[in-house]
Amino acid sequence: MCMLNVNAQNDSLHHLKVVEIKATRSVYFSSASKFQLIDSATLERYSNNNLADLLSHESMVFIKSYGLGSLASSSFRGAGSSHTAVLWNGFNLQSSMHGMIDLSLIPANFLNTVQLQFGSASALWGSGAVGGAIHLNNSNTFNKGISVYSNTSFGSFLDKQQQLSFELSKKRIVSTLKVFNHDAKNDFEFTNKAQYGKPIQRQRNAELKQYGLLQENYIQINQFQLLNTRYWYQYSDRQMPPSMTQNVNVAIQKDESSRFTTEWQLNKNKYSVNVRAAYFDEKLYYEDSLTALFSKSHSQSAIVELETKFSITKYDMINIGVNNTNNTANTESYNKPHNQNRSSVFASYRLHTLNLKWNAILNVRQEFVNNKAVPFTSSFGLDGNIFRYFYLKLNVAQHYRIPTFNDLYWVPGGNPNLLPESGLSEDATIAYKQALKKVKVELEAAAFNREIKNWVIWQPDVSGIWTPQNVQEVWSRGLEYKLNVDYRTSKWEIQVSGLYNYVLSTNQKSISANDATLHKQLIYVPIQNSQGNFLIQYKGTSISYNHIYVGYRYTSSDNKNYIKPYSVGNVRVSHDVVLTGAKIKVYAQFNNVFNEQYEIIEYRAMPLLNYQLGLAIYFHEKKQIKIII
Amino acid sequence: MKTNKILLFTAITFGTIFTSCKKDDPEPDPTTPTASTTYDNGVFVTNEGPFGSGTGTLSFISRSGSAVYNDIFEAKNTFPLGNIVQSMSIYNTKGYIVVNNSGKIEVVDGSSMATAGTITGFTYPRYFLGIDNSKAFVTEWGTSGLAGAVKVVDLTTNTITGTINTGKGAENMVKVGNKVFVACGGGFDNDSVVTVIDAITNVVDTTIFVGANPTYIQVDANNNVWVLCKGKQNATWTALEQTGKLVRLNGTSYATELSLSFSSTSSQPTNLVVNAAKTTLYYNYSGKLYAHAIASTILNSTATINRSFYALGIDPINDQFYGSDAVDFSSNGKVIRYSSAGVTIDSITVGVIPGNFYFK
Repeated sequence: MCMLNVNAQNDSLHHLKVVEIKATRSVYFSSASKFQLIDSATLERYSNNNLADLLSHESMVFIKSYGLGSLASSSFRGAGSSHTAVLWNGFNLQSSMHGMIDLSLIPANFLNTVQLQFGSASALWGSGAVGGAIHLNNSNTFNKGISVYSNTSFGSFLDKQQQLSFELSKKRIVSTLKVFNHDAKNDFEFTNKAQYGKPIQRQRNAELKQYGLLQENYIQINQFQLLNTRYWYQYSDRQMPPSMTQNVNVAIQKDESSRFTTEWQLNKNKYSVNVRAAYFDEKLYYEDSLTALFSKSHSQSAIVELETKFSITKYDMINIGVNNTNNTANTESYNKPHNQNRSSVFASYRLHTLNLKWNAILNVRQEFVNNKAVPFTSSFGLDGNIFRYFYLKLNVAQHYRIPTFNDLYWVPGGNPNLLPESGLSEDATIAYKQALKKVKVELEAAAFNREIKNWVIWQPDVSGIWTPQNVQEVWSRGLEYKLNVDYRTSKWEIQVSGLYNYVLSTNQKSISANDATLHKQLIYVPIQNSQGNFLIQYKGTSISYNHIYVGYRYTSSDNKNYIKPYSVGNVRVSHDVVLTGAKIKVYAQFNNVFNEQYEIIEYRAMPLLNYQLGLAIYFHEKKQIKIII
Repeated sequence: MKTNKILLFTAITFGTIFTSCKKDDPEPDPTTPTASTTYDNGVFVTNEGPFGSGTGTLSFISRSGSAVYNDIFEAKNTFPLGNIVQSMSIYNTKGYIVVNNSGKIEVVDGSSMATAGTITGFTYPRYFLGIDNSKAFVTEWGTSGLAGAVKVVDLTTNTITGTINTGKGAENMVKVGNKVFVACGGGFDNDSVVTVIDAITNVVDTTIFVGANPTYIQVDANNNVWVLCKGKQNATWTALEQTGKLVRLNGTSYATELSLSFSSTSSQPTNLVVNAAKTTLYYNYSGKLYAHAIASTILNSTATINRSFYALGIDPINDQFYGSDAVDFSSNGKVIRYSSAGVTIDSITVGVIPGNFYFK
């Protein structure tokens, strides 16, 4: 895997050597993991969508969404929503309070690339990288000049979005500012099958208002040193719509986050050193006047990480690092603010052939939570080019997830004696990749097997108080297929891709006598899902079709209750007008074109056919550079 | 040439991928009844349903045990009951199914379950009590779970005609003569009163302080009223700062005649029921089921059944116990039947979180 370059560089001779700013470990020490790269061209098609939309359309990660613009969490390879590490430029965004992150709150246009790392990667990324990891990356290139980008869209249910970006890219400094504003009423019509006569109703209490900014600076101090800073502020105010079986919901939720990161890199020929630090401040306010619930929560994380990479011989590469993460969180349901100090030591060793066609990688990590050791974690991987067009990846990895603050400290029920969840995962990926003059083909099949022990489940104790216990054991295994064909000439481009997953994720432990949940699929984990994408582009005009199929999902742990599969088709049309120093893009996105009545979560209404129309204008001061926006 | 091969290969792979997405329905549940089934001589079980946005269901177990039907409301009416099915009563041949989080009562024919209307406008309704041919009382927690009330329902129009304010978290009701005793269990907060309402004038007669969070209430053979108070958790929920209590009120003078405190600071007593003769009460406490003869002035230390239940019922026809087990609160629950002596008869799978019984 690699980061995507802005393709302008080849044309221009006086540019400095392109300096890439990347998360070092993911590049050099996870080549044995299966990856999916969502590049900037794809992200651009989703510029007015959030990460949950992007992943549900472009990946096989199951996105459990409560509805348009509502809370959305991820399930990777049949694991739970807190089993996905979401790493923003290498920093884990998973909440210390509940272990999740709402993917609907991450705007796609704030990201340059998204990479999905399949399989356990706790040795590299620490707690939570169990099912997989989502890498959200920002990167930039020096000496591109000044550019301004604006994107405005209007859509069904009074969806209004405005985005504005400004970028100054000089020889030694890049400074960017992106802002966005999003309002939507989301009052779509749906058939309420949960009420007598199945009336058509309009969704209520579904309005959202969101805005945010991302400011980035990249400074090349000298030929060896780079410094960057990023600041991401976001505010979201959402109403919580009722489900079809509720009549009324008046709840609202406000999320406010400030995230600051900085990184210093020293890149010498023989070694490199990275020092990075982050400070995250997250506030959540939930109000439900019907149940008299007015809940404020506030958490902070301070992260410092240092790592160094070097080689002893030309056949190897070593990375050694330390991380210290300090989390603080408070809410009315804790009896006091809680603090947690986590420190870890990690190291990676790669042995490779000189042409880098074969790599063997060992990653290890030891973490201490409040000075108590969590299980030692390691992974071993092997990857290489077997022959001609065939590539193989094998990976065996231990994983862990430490209990969340809510699990430990919630009043009532919090259980301070919980153990980390842990286990082992194995996977194998075989790929066929062939690039002809005009056609590129990629076929990939992967199989995985994973167990999670000490899975934390909340259950009532003898006195009826809900409390979390390390009781469940979950065995997940599955097959994943992918096919990509890309045909490209100077004027034409045709892309066809298909994905198919078969995942069994079952409970392996009997908790009660004659437990009907034993060997049953976890709820809301589809056994089958698949996806097809088709894109045809002629010069600046493109049309793409995206099809999603999600199979049965069980809604009760004994698999007696389920919701039906659904198929949703989406179409996008866009046209570019290229002017001197500027480009204008008009686009239209039509979602659910076949008017499928479907539910991702039982009795949570989803909209029928809906659209978004948009206009993006890109201005660039240097006209000799082609830019992909 | 090569391109053609690749395209063919692509087509085949796609064909394989999409045809492999079979739509094989999971096995249908054999306990789902046909629409023509009738429900007499047995017990209705209200199943709350999964937390969140799901729906509760209604099950029926025939008294002989030979027939068990699940999801009987939707099977008849083709729409689900709604979120958190709280309780059911049959009154004047009609069934009234109280759906808590949907704020409504589904009215059905008491035998066929055919829908006969919906009463809307409640806020967290709990229990239904028929007063006369045209009037019923329905307890509700009210807005914020703090505005406990009894809603007066006109049964001829299926509309709410009045509100009688009570203590917080109005729960179970009993009627003695023309007085309705409402246990006010605190709702989302705490309370300690039984509100007494005149069923003719719809006016509060008096408010009786009994103990922390009175939730369950029964009438005995002497027309006295028994109240089971769950006790009160301390601020950190680590112990009960007020333990549970079993209280006897005089049904006519309202005087507190007996007040028995439970000793445990961790276990809250739940589920007060009374036998057919109304001479013995039963309740859950400390993981067991205890009996309390109405003449007794001390709490029993010997258990009748060594098990506690999520919901408890006692069949007024034969004094059999019906105890429910919500298992993991996410899969279908169980109802375990016991003889009046506490001997297990059988175990029956019902819906998700079986929370109340109604004996017909």
